[in-house]
Amino acid sequence: MMIYHVPKHRSKEAMLESAIVFNVQKFSLNDGPGIRTVVFLKGCPLRCGWCSNPESQRKTSEIEWDERSCDGCAASDGLASKVGFIKTGSRRGPDVIRLQIGDPRVDAALRDCPGLSVVGINRTTDDVLVECLQDEPFYEEGGGGVTLSGGEPLVWGHFCVELLDKLKARGIDTSMETTGHVPEKTFRAAIEHLDHIFMDLKQYDTRLHKRGTGVGNELILKNMAYAVSTGKDLLIRTPVIPGFNDSLADARGMARKLREIGVNKVQLLPFHNFGESKYELLGRDDYAFKGVPNTHPEDIEDFRQVYLDEGVDAFL
Amino acid sequence: MSDSHFGKLTDRMNSFRDQLLDTVPQIDVDRAMITTKVYQEQQDQPLAIKRAIMLKEILEQMPIFIEPETVIAGNQASKNRSAPIFPEYAMDWVIDELDQFENRDGDVFTITEENKEKLRSIYPFWKHNTLQDRGLAAFPPHSKLFYDLGIIKSEGNITSGDAHCAVNYEGLLKLGLKDYARRAQEKLDSLDLTDYRNIHKSYFYRAILIVVDAVKEFAGRYAALARQQATRCSQKGDERRAFELCGMAEALDHVPYEPARTLREAVQSVWLIHLTLQLESNGHSLSYGRMDQYLWPYYEDDLKTGRITSDEADELMCNLWLKTFTVNKVRPWSHTQFSAGSPLYQNVTVGGQKLVDGEARDATNPMSWLILKSVAQCHLTQPNLTVRYHENLPDDFMNECIEVVRCGFGMPAFNDDEVIIPSFIEKGVARDDAYNYSAIGCVETAVPGKWGYRCTGMSFLNFPKALLIAMNNGVDPQSGTKLVEGTGHFKDFTSFDQVMNCWDKVVREMCRQCVIIDATCDMVLEQDTADILCSCLTDDCIDRGLNMKEGGAVYDFISDLQVGIANLADSLAAMKKVVFEEKKVTPEELWDAMQANWQGEKNQHIRELMKAAPKYGNDNDYVDSLIRQAYDIYIDEMKKYHNTRYGRGPIGGIYYAGTSSISANVPQGAGTLATPDGRAAGEPLAEGCSPSHSADQHGPTAVFKSVSKLSTDDITGGVLLNQKVTPQVLSKMENRQKLALLTRAFFDKLHGYHVQYNVVSRDTLLDAQVHPEKHRDLIVRVAGYSAFFVVLFKATQDDIIERTEQAL
Repeated sequence: MMIYHVPKHRSKEAMLESAIVFNVQKFSLNDGPGIRTVVFLKGCPLRCGWCSNPESQRKTSEIEWDERSCDGCAASDGLASKVGFIKTGSRRGPDVIRLQIGDPRVDAALRDCPGLSVVGINRTTDDVLVECLQDEPFYEEGGGGVTLSGGEPLVWGHFCVELLDKLKARGIDTSMETTGHVPEKTFRAAIEHLDHIFMDLKQYDTRLHKRGTGVGNELILKNMAYAVSTGKDLLIRTPVIPGFNDSLADARGMARKLREIGVNKVQLLPFHNFGESKYELLGRDDYAFKGVPNTHPEDIEDFRQVYLDEGVDAFL
Repeated sequence: MSDSHFGKLTDRMNSFRDQLLDTVPQIDVDRAMITTKVYQEQQDQPLAIKRAIMLKEILEQMPIFIEPETVIAGNQASKNRSAPIFPEYAMDWVIDELDQFENRDGDVFTITEENKEKLRSIYPFWKHNTLQDRGLAAFPPHSKLFYDLGIIKSEGNITSGDAHCAVNYEGLLKLGLKDYARRAQEKLDSLDLTDYRNIHKSYFYRAILIVVDAVKEFAGRYAALARQQATRCSQKGDERRAFELCGMAEALDHVPYEPARTLREAVQSVWLIHLTLQLESNGHSLSYGRMDQYLWPYYEDDLKTGRITSDEADELMCNLWLKTFTVNKVRPWSHTQFSAGSPLYQNVTVGGQKLVDGEARDATNPMSWLILKSVAQCHLTQPNLTVRYHENLPDDFMNECIEVVRCGFGMPAFNDDEVIIPSFIEKGVARDDAYNYSAIGCVETAVPGKWGYRCTGMSFLNFPKALLIAMNNGVDPQSGTKLVEGTGHFKDFTSFDQVMNCWDKVVREMCRQCVIIDATCDMVLEQDTADILCSCLTDDCIDRGLNMKEGGAVYDFISDLQVGIANLADSLAAMKKVVFEEKKVTPEELWDAMQANWQGEKNQHIRELMKAAPKYGNDNDYVDSLIRQAYDIYIDEMKKYHNTRYGRGPIGGIYYAGTSSISANVPQGAGTLATPDGRAAGEPLAEGCSPSHSADQHGPTAVFKSVSKLSTDDITGGVLLNQKVTPQVLSKMENRQKLALLTRAFFDKLHGYHVQYNVVSRDTLLDAQVHPEKHRDLIVRVAGYSAFFVVLFKATQDDIIERTEQAL
């Protein structure tokens, strides 16, 4: 397990919460009603082998290297000489642990090499708020607004609550995609400011859940049950992952678990490998689903039928 | 081909469509030969009479045919998709390119040796005797420099006619051409010819009588042909077609001379006039106006009385669009290579509002729906479909429009009532008329049947080139020609204010030169061409006794066109930030790097820095405020000038800004050196008001925000925005709704003028695999995940491409 240096993300002057934000995506589809801006926060307590956003996992800024854009220094040698941190010969990209943004050598390399880019920068709630408000004219019609996502946004619990509070103060619709694997207190504080919640049920069996994601599902289920009890607009989703949760027995188990906590609707997300290339950009070779073909909607029709038989409205 | 949402074309329309798409266009010489003969024989006649006789002779002598598939008659040339030659406008290029038409890289036209000979035989008569010859001779010498150096382009306007208008089809259908002839006759009879000005008017009235009669006879030729064919069909036992042809003949006996009585007659009448206007002059962007409004009464009546079913009406409209597609135009190669596909911009407008007892109401009707449907079914480049948007446009109609967008042929374009109507009223257009505006050609707008020609004006000003000249102390850096008095050289500038000052000085002078060139073109066109039928059908030409060019139209506002808005924005921002604020590059280094077209390692590095500066289209005030400031200088200057119709009758007679420069961004870019935004020499400029290619990195909402910061109320000539969307955005109903929401918000909240969506096709995705550098901004969206297409693995890309096919 790597140890990260997590700086104090709190600016002294304004006393604003801050967080590492790796993307603010405007006009994002599939993330709630209307036209939405999605704020992606960096860091996640889970390590799902199929994760398609590997850049979201670590809680610090990282450097990506896209060899194809790196015209001046196409070989890793060239990059190595610029950055001075590369394990030469391995073509594995930058060594994330030792690369420190702010180091003049790194900054110089970032400036010179179009193939290098930083993922994630430290931003305050006000800074992010201003960007979200740019699209305010688009939110009203159709009930759009802002969605917080990640990683796991509630890794930055104080930041989320502060930002959501500011958004609600302006009457903006709020939504969050959360794993639910966060302290109950944090979860409840955030939910208070949310209009819509998206959560995953990845496995009903906690042992298997731990094997696939690195954590058990007890805390997640507890938070999910709480979310149900608040009566807020909640959508549960299940990524259907080959060999992890895609058997018909898995479907039955998950459907029953959902009924148990009072959920009768679930969205199934077929597995896709679109994140694979990102692992390489980050210099990582730990993508667990290399070469596994994408699942298409028609492939999981039987799986879906099990839910329907169990009285859970599963849809794609 | 057609999306299943709209259903298929009928078999015969599908067959007609296939034939048209398979046709290799030919050069047609009939019109050229007839025109030459008339011009030779009628040299002594007043212009109006000569032009009327020309049209009469063309309509009498040109070959006509009725295709077995069609239910409306009327052809522009001896074969469909053939392009007539209009020698009176320009002839040098025709002769120069005679042997090249077949060898072009695109837009190939075939021509027989016999026809080449015919054209050569008439050339001596036209040498130094065309509009182009007189136009080139007429430019004041200093202004001609701007023209010759490609800074202000208006070549298309002295090599062809005006057009860019919609005539009064509503009046035509209600009154018939005979009423126009009656009014012209009455006016003629009451003229006091002791006043020489009335003698001039009498020519115009006599000319109208000639062309109305000629059009009546033209319809008569088709009626006779239809009867002949009916007899033949009958003999062959095809009674159904025989009956249909007899019906066509009866309609043609009646319209366009008489008022239309049925939808079929109305469509036949409109088509024959639209076609005749394309024979009278070779100006393009002849538009149908608000067709759903003027056709609906006939359709409604036919439905009530059972004269037509909705399926039959659908086929009739499809037939009209296929006919519309048969019209073709051949342009000089120098134009063609930048406007491939010989676009004619024949616009049809639907939707919008109407005034009922002074109250604005939604104007959509079943005809609006039928036009959407039939245009989608035809899925062609013509007509150009525009939807007038307003806040109360019904959701289901909006959704239907999005379904058309989804078909992936770039239509419809949306224009915003809430911006255009108030802007017209503010400029003096009567409220009733303002509510009746339509799109003309592409994005520009006018009141159909009441507006002068070419609301886009004549000249295209290349903004980035103007900037380079301003930075170079008024000297064109390409030719070394001193064009205007400058304010010093950029190399010596020490503050960004100096950049804005040099721009202010130079662009005002350029604007003045645009007006001079515009006025010269207008003057020569007025002296040399007169479009009698077009003027006859435009109010109040008959009342005033003036053709459109002389000031006959009720309104006459024109915009000139400004090209390269985004390049100007990005250039200013890059200079301000990189050179004057961060001081990473000196003015001299930047200027030298641009002159070297960014060649060399150091210059390449400078280019990267300039490219990395803030770009227009990202809702970034830093750059958006600069372009507003820079553009406003031009707009302010433009307001000072009048067009050639000022004070001669029309309301207006002035200029305003406009950006509907559709394809001019390509040739104007080809003639422009490297610019401070990092663009290399020769690369296309940005189109309309859209961001530079790949510069918008934050999606459509940010683009809309940036565009909305321009002075839209003053750019009445059109704020053109092309927005790219991937088919995936449109693949799910839920997301299609979001595109509708996005459009509504752009208009309702941000008061946008125009938008059209280009669905990125499968071909584009394939091209993005081969040339990722050209598609950096291409975003593909899948459930719960978005990515830049070009960074995905090949196999992933393939997968998406595969799905894209399914989605469409």
